[in-house]
Amino acid sequence: MGANASQLEKEIGSDQFPANEHYFGLVNFGNTCYCNSVLQALFFCKPFREKVLQYKQQQKNQKRETLLTCLADLFHSIATQKKKVGTVAPKKFIQRLRKENELFDNYMQQDAHEFLNYLLNTVADLLQAEKQVKTRASTNGTVKPEPTWVHDIFQGTLTNETRCLNCETVSSKDEDFLDLSVDVEQNTSISHCLRGFSSTETLSSEYKYYCEVCCSKQEAQKRMRVKKLPNLLALHLKRFKYMEQLNRHTKLSYRVVFPLELRLFNKSDDACNPDRMYDLTAVVVHCGNGPNRGHYISIVKSHRFWLLFDDDIVDKMEASSIEEFFGLTSDVQKNSESGYILFYQSRE
Amino acid sequence: MATQNEGGGKDEIKTQFMTREGIYKLMTLSEYSRPTRGAFNGQGNTPVKVSFITLNDQSGTGDRICFNIGKELYFYVYKGVRKAADLTKPIDKRVYKGTFPTCHDFNQLTATTDSVMLLVGFTAGQVQLIDPIKKELSKLYNEERLIDRSKVTCIKWIPGSPNQFLVSHVSGQMYVYNEELPCGTTSPHYQLFKQGDGFSVHTCKTKSTRNPLYRWLVGEGSINEFAFSPCTKYVATVSQDGFMRVFDYNSMELAGMMKSYFGGLLCVCWSPDSKYIVTGGEDDLVTVWSLNERRVVCRGQGHKSWVNVVAFDRYTTSVCDNEMLDFSGSDDDFNHMPHANTGLLHEALRTSTRSNTSRGSSKSIDSKGVNMITSYRFGSVGQDTMLCLWDLTEDILRMPVGRHRTSTVVSQNACGVSPKSNNSVPSQNCVTNMTLDNAVPHHSSSSSGVTTSLTQKFATFTLGDRKEKDHDRKEHKRNFSLGSKNNDKVIRTIDDSLRLLGTPSCPRLDDVLLLEPLVCKKVAHERLTALVFHEDCMVAACQEGYVYTWARPGKVGLAQQHTVTTPPQTLPCQPPALGSTAL
Ligand SMILES: [Zn+2]
Repeated sequence: MGANASQLEKEIGSDQFPANEHYFGLVNFGNTCYCNSVLQALFFCKPFREKVLQYKQQQKNQKRETLLTCLADLFHSIATQKKKVGTVAPKKFIQRLRKENELFDNYMQQDAHEFLNYLLNTVADLLQAEKQVKTRASTNGTVKPEPTWVHDIFQGTLTNETRCLNCETVSSKDEDFLDLSVDVEQNTSISHCLRGFSSTETLSSEYKYYCEVCCSKQEAQKRMRVKKLPNLLALHLKRFKYMEQLNRHTKLSYRVVFPLELRLFNKSDDACNPDRMYDLTAVVVHCGNGPNRGHYISIVKSHRFWLLFDDDIVDKMEASSIEEFFGLTSDVQKNSESGYILFYQSRE
Repeated sequence: MATQNEGGGKDEIKTQFMTREGIYKLMTLSEYSRPTRGAFNGQGNTPVKVSFITLNDQSGTGDRICFNIGKELYFYVYKGVRKAADLTKPIDKRVYKGTFPTCHDFNQLTATTDSVMLLVGFTAGQVQLIDPIKKELSKLYNEERLIDRSKVTCIKWIPGSPNQFLVSHVSGQMYVYNEELPCGTTSPHYQLFKQGDGFSVHTCKTKSTRNPLYRWLVGEGSINEFAFSPCTKYVATVSQDGFMRVFDYNSMELAGMMKSYFGGLLCVCWSPDSKYIVTGGEDDLVTVWSLNERRVVCRGQGHKSWVNVVAFDRYTTSVCDNEMLDFSGSDDDFNHMPHANTGLLHEALRTSTRSNTSRGSSKSIDSKGVNMITSYRFGSVGQDTMLCLWDLTEDILRMPVGRHRTSTVVSQNACGVSPKSNNSVPSQNCVTNMTLDNAVPHHSSSSSGVTTSLTQKFATFTLGDRKEKDHDRKEHKRNFSLGSKNNDKVIRTIDDSLRLLGTPSCPRLDDVLLLEPLVCKKVAHERLTALVFHEDCMVAACQEGYVYTWARPGKVGLAQQHTVTTPPQTLPCQPPALGSTAL
């Protein structure tokens, strides 16, 4: 461990090592790599890290321990290490997580995406609750929840357009999202998967749509496109598919390529920031063949380097090695190291 | 393999498909691979590339093929669609250790029936020159990796040169070598020779001349491919930074550039008349760029993943003249070549690839501007295992940039500016020419009608996918209010790719035509890595190590017609079939 850490420092070179940057592995507490991989990815999502550290600064006297205070303590402990490389044990965070959600209260492998979802929503709820306490104290009225920095960073808006095939009326409804879950296909790109996400779907037979104009159930076409592009775009590749005949989830190890630079094709005509350019900043990778088996690691971009975090081990890697995590072209093999959650940071 | 039925299942591999010129058929007996067929695990290996050379063989079997599979390199007689491939007898086979071949190129100029010069680039950066016929020749360049340690991405003989070649690397550098010069025993020291926007050229600082003669530093990240223009004046590079750059090769000036919509550009090809460049890349798009106008003309969306190879089909190019078609193939053909200032280049062009003079699209333009290419065909293959064919019609090429497309269709052949002056001078003069071109509206018989229909077509293109598909998105908590503003935007200098958005070098998605492919078929199990058009067939290779030959319409089982001079396969001059670009 120590040898690995100093090796990394040597590899980067003391003159090249970014100032105020720390590359710390996270100790595994029994199948907690789903958690470690997501935490590392989020730590290297700069706006998220900054907000968590700010929170730590503001909450010095807080007594009540929450998942957010544990997260803030963990990020703070990494960010204030004297050494540049090493390992920390996210013990308090894991304990808190297991206490708060029975889903994670065991030693089984969990779904990294479910954890990310849970973490972001929990943090957002905590922030909203804190804000409401303050607002209520001052205005003494009921206020609807305000967006928090979690929303500022991750939230985008989808517009759900439905066209009645009888009267041609188009109705649209907006929905917010913190990440997008996309279906995967063999030998495709993430752009293609996103276009599939926004492809037109026909609602017919038992799925007919109730048209307000026709006042009856009608066949309709529906599609969902991105109206507001988030600052940080989190994309979840749906690699775990439930197999009826096997009565369990199986992994789709399909090769899905993702570029370092991304723009979206599947945006609505009235999108407010349609040409946003994104840069890949982190990838949570699933290794193995099933959701409750295998291992999670993450690759992140920090300054000019790509780093691979495998629990307590941190390695420098070449950008060209990212292609090793695209997946497999052979449909027979299920066991792969393939990109599972992609984090794209908006450039402007 | 798969059935002959085109209308089969969605993921079925197609063995034939129809275009408007007829049916293309996969020639299963013409499949080239390693001699012992068997499962080859293509995962993580270098792409299978294909090179051809035509030797002046009286027997009519002058075609030779070279391809690399993993650590192996093969050299066979290529029998095309006429005879079954004989895989048991490669003329040459090489197996490498520790470093794998990545790309190769024949010297068309020096090739004879019993000797060819074949350059091979390798994963560890080395370059080898071999003669797979004589087998005596074997020279190594960058052997000690003192010049560059990164993978060779593309290697080409410099057009018209018997001994100079250009090699690009993952490091973002290209080197000019002379095969007769040594590489030295020390790392080269360079001095700046020329510099421009996003590139610099250096010479080797030594007393005695050594390799490399020049080092080009281009953009950021890997140079993924480069291509010399058929007129030999320009070289176009595509890089991982998403830029396509065109250089005047001799003067080393930047003649133009383009940015992908996003992501790295992976491949580049010139139109047969050197007027257009098509690129493919990580945005899953093919992008057509005009050298005359220095602008993106259109993009094409059809691939489901990254586009690995783009290639113009010079044999399926529509020629239009106002009076007559001229197939005489005289020396006049070369008059239009801009700046082909040395006899050597002229000569090289004439004798080079598969005898231009008898076939071709190069004759379709002449200095008088009588014959014009009115429609170009190109193909693309990608990581999605799909082959796409695209038609680039006159109307698309004339489409003005911008959201408002009410302007008149402008014809360039009406203004009498010879392509020579159009092509040869960068920037300032180009502007003059363009103004001149645009100032003369042309009363094409079909212009107004076609413009209208194209505009409508355009509207439907932007509507997006019609594909029907279920998706059960994961539900998130959606109890958040709308419209949160990002208050803490970091203000930083806008980089090049952001600055270029909305300019002719990188138009917004809605600002240029988004083409749909004429044909889009899954033709392999694995990623496709090569695509070459021949007169009677189309050749594609895949990562698994198979080289497929598709016979063109009417060319199945053709006997000896290969040696007969036939008129080029062109369509009669007609208003471009717009329907072919849409589904
Ligand atoms: Zn209705």
